[in-house]
Amino acid sequence: MTDMTAHTVSRETFFRRVWRAIWPRIGVKLGFAWVGLLVFMGVFAPFLANSMPLLMSKGGHISAPVLEYLTVEDVFVLAVFALVVVLAWLRLSGGKRVLLFLAGTLVAAVLANLLVKPPAVKIYDDFRTPVYTEADWRMMPPVPYAPTDYLRDYPEHGLEQPLKATDGRFHLMGTEENGADVFSRMIHASRIALSIGLIATSISMVIGVVLGGLMGYFSGVVDMIGMRLVEIFEAIPTLFLLLTFVAFFGRSLYMMMIIIGVTSWSGYARYIRAEFLKLRKQEFVQAAVASGLPLSSILFRHMLPNGVAPLLVAASFGVASAILAEATLSFLGLGLVGEPSWGQMLDQAVKSSTFNWWMAAFPGGAIFFTVFAYNLIGEAFRDAIDPKLSRNAGVGS
Amino acid sequence: MSQPLLEVRNLRTYLNSGGRTVKAVDDVSFSIPKGETFCLVGESGSGKSISALSVIRLLPQGIASHPGGEILFNGQDILKLPEDALRGIRGSQIAMIFQEPMTSLNPVFSVGEQITEALQLHHPTMSDEEALERALLALEQVQIPKARERFRDYPHQLSGGQRQRVMIAMALACEPDLLIADEPTTALDVTVQAEILRLLRQLQDDTGMSTLFITHDFGVVAQMAQQVGVMQQGKLVEVGSTAQVLRHPQHAYTQQLLAAVPENLVRNPGGRNPSPALPLSGKGARGDGTSSYSSPDKGRLGGVSSPALLSIRNLNVWFPIKKGLLRRTVDHVRAVDDVSLDIPKGQIVALVGESGCGKTTLGRAVLQLEKPTSGSIQLHGQELTGLSARELRPLRPKMQIAFQDPQSSLNPRLLVETTLTEPLKAHGIGVNQEERIERAAQILDDMQLPRDALWRYPHEFSGGQRQRIGLARALVLNPEFIVCDEITSALDVSVQAEILQLLLKIRDEHNLTLLFITHNIGVVEYLSDQTMVMYKGKIVERGATAEVCGNPQEDYTQKLLSAVPRLLFN
Repeated sequence: MTDMTAHTVSRETFFRRVWRAIWPRIGVKLGFAWVGLLVFMGVFAPFLANSMPLLMSKGGHISAPVLEYLTVEDVFVLAVFALVVVLAWLRLSGGKRVLLFLAGTLVAAVLANLLVKPPAVKIYDDFRTPVYTEADWRMMPPVPYAPTDYLRDYPEHGLEQPLKATDGRFHLMGTEENGADVFSRMIHASRIALSIGLIATSISMVIGVVLGGLMGYFSGVVDMIGMRLVEIFEAIPTLFLLLTFVAFFGRSLYMMMIIIGVTSWSGYARYIRAEFLKLRKQEFVQAAVASGLPLSSILFRHMLPNGVAPLLVAASFGVASAILAEATLSFLGLGLVGEPSWGQMLDQAVKSSTFNWWMAAFPGGAIFFTVFAYNLIGEAFRDAIDPKLSRNAGVGS
Repeated sequence: MSQPLLEVRNLRTYLNSGGRTVKAVDDVSFSIPKGETFCLVGESGSGKSISALSVIRLLPQGIASHPGGEILFNGQDILKLPEDALRGIRGSQIAMIFQEPMTSLNPVFSVGEQITEALQLHHPTMSDEEALERALLALEQVQIPKARERFRDYPHQLSGGQRQRVMIAMALACEPDLLIADEPTTALDVTVQAEILRLLRQLQDDTGMSTLFITHDFGVVAQMAQQVGVMQQGKLVEVGSTAQVLRHPQHAYTQQLLAAVPENLVRNPGGRNPSPALPLSGKGARGDGTSSYSSPDKGRLGGVSSPALLSIRNLNVWFPIKKGLLRRTVDHVRAVDDVSLDIPKGQIVALVGESGCGKTTLGRAVLQLEKPTSGSIQLHGQELTGLSARELRPLRPKMQIAFQDPQSSLNPRLLVETTLTEPLKAHGIGVNQEERIERAAQILDDMQLPRDALWRYPHEFSGGQRQRIGLARALVLNPEFIVCDEITSALDVSVQAEILQLLLKIRDEHNLTLLFITHNIGVVEYLSDQTMVMYKGKIVERGATAEVCGNPQEDYTQKLLSAVPRLLFN
């Protein structure tokens, strides 16, 4: 009768259901494809675009100059990527995964700093001297130019349109005014865009979840103070704070990440607070209290997993806005100096006396598509999580 | 009488979603003569609402289809009418009222505007003054006091019962021939329900309209209907006159449903009450039925010697009303107001009252889930108020709680196994996880659930099963005392009967004391040893259930009991 068992319902977790609802959408597929491509380019940038050979054999001696010249950051990014792949493959609970990821990241950061000692000087012109070119065989990266390789050994370099170089060079996206390959710079810049988006958002999510959770669970005075803090942080204009810090303390990617993270947590805190206020009165939470479960279990096991869904939405939009913030800063000429970023490339395009379309179109397009991809993903999550819409999307059935 | 107003012949309504077809209504036939009421009764998902919506074709067109049947209203087949002809019928000739008075009125228009709009829609030539007069008349007709003053009120300014009256006024303003009422009193308190039902009967006498009445409550059926149809899984299993169907049900399903109504349940745990009470043999009647509680061992249960497990003295739970810029407390809502009570060991004490009377707050305050404003709560003589969370923890296993809503009472992200073993782990019960799982599995056995339920998520279970898991969670710590907060209110009557029987069984097996919070008098009479009636934060009457229900002393208790729709008629 009505007490029929629903044995036919497949056993899947909430996130898998959400995933099943959003994945058929073409926008989501495109969004994830683009982000996946960025991740691939960001992680393997030194192997994709570099002036030095990947592998070479000379007189029976095989060497890999790329590996020798890997920087601390390169190694760290590769290690974290490997960690993510391994964790995704292992069957573990969510909490264990997060802990292992954090521990692994810490270990990778320490080890990379201790063990990786790349040569202090890197002269890209050398890689085009006979020492490297006259090998038995060698394997070059797909784009044989490093992002900061200004091709000083070529007599004519500087702004060149795509595929217009005459002396045997091949530049898919042309070169910028100093002669560096634009495609190579694009590839390496994707790492900055991704990392600033992910790390700044992670920082603000952690702050937002902790503060919002406390506000929502304890309410009362804690909530009052917390909300005033939220309002104070909402009043801070992130961009101008960034400008001020850059003016005082110089340019650093990490500082940017921290400032964007520290100033943009208020939205997450609001979301979590609202969810926790609602969840606190839910019967399963009351039952957990009545069972005398410890506070940590009530907060992290019974409340957080049930309240975290709206954060997914906010986080995807947050990543997009962090990327935009970095691009804006770089565009204003206050970004990083040594390394290329998409915003900085746009800045170059504007500052040159003539309009060089390839300097504007490629980084501009990349920023556009990245922000667009994250917004598509966020939008799909929002639709899937909204209980009213989810029934139509087939989550419930 | 010769020509029925509405005749439904072999109606089929199929719902398509995601490639699946559900036969929501399958070959249903009934007819409603002029001036009579036809009740469709059934449990949730039986297709009774879908049948009603099919009659005025209000189902979404992309999903619903009618592969067969005809619906003859005044001789014309509604299923064949074009959409604009239908619009002329809806509202003016067939009107509908819904279950939820909160959401079926538009919150941004005053009630008067909503009625006049409905009127002018169907009578475009009607002047504003005339519409206003008619609307006022309609409001007076549904007995809204001071209709002229309430005319400009917005829905949120009215109580639930008044909102339902406005809905009825809207439906009746255009003088329809047929009124479809879809569970119109389910969301209302029992005293308000009695008023609305009386109003509907009176209006029907005055206007001579017919009513198609949807309900799940056989008590309401007994009061309202001339004819009744029992639905099960889209099929109409039994149709007949109300007296015939309720007294001599022919179909097995109808018999089963009627037997599950709390008034008809046989309370016979451990041979305590040997008198066999057949469904509707006159035994379930009030006064008579209550005699089953004065069985010989009543003395043991209600005896003075049994010590109080829990005693509450002068308990107040007040919620501040804050106003103004500085959020100053201007007044308090006295949810629980100076309540003193004792709960003797081994008894089932029912706390009964209407919504907002503070019974749930009292239940939660007992478990210190709600902080009392003042007063004392003692468990085995140990004071609970004022204890910190840490000091309370060792006492938690002794008292547990089970909740009303099967949707939200279990954490949707946790396996049943985790839900059941986590409290054990937190209190250091069981040497290892295997032992705790074994304990959880035993409790599931007690709850008559399969053991593999441990490895499932809550959404895989039906409402009744989820309530059993909720009870299992309360039982797993081996408590002495459980607060059951409306645990059967969201369930169908047959599932409710199973849960109630289960509750009596585990009470005996685990030697439990229960505080059973409910608004359902039938359940109280069936289940409890003692009854306390709560009204506006105070306990107005208390005593042995047979006394309170059989011979109520207080005005409020009398009003409450007389409002309960009984199966008994004539």
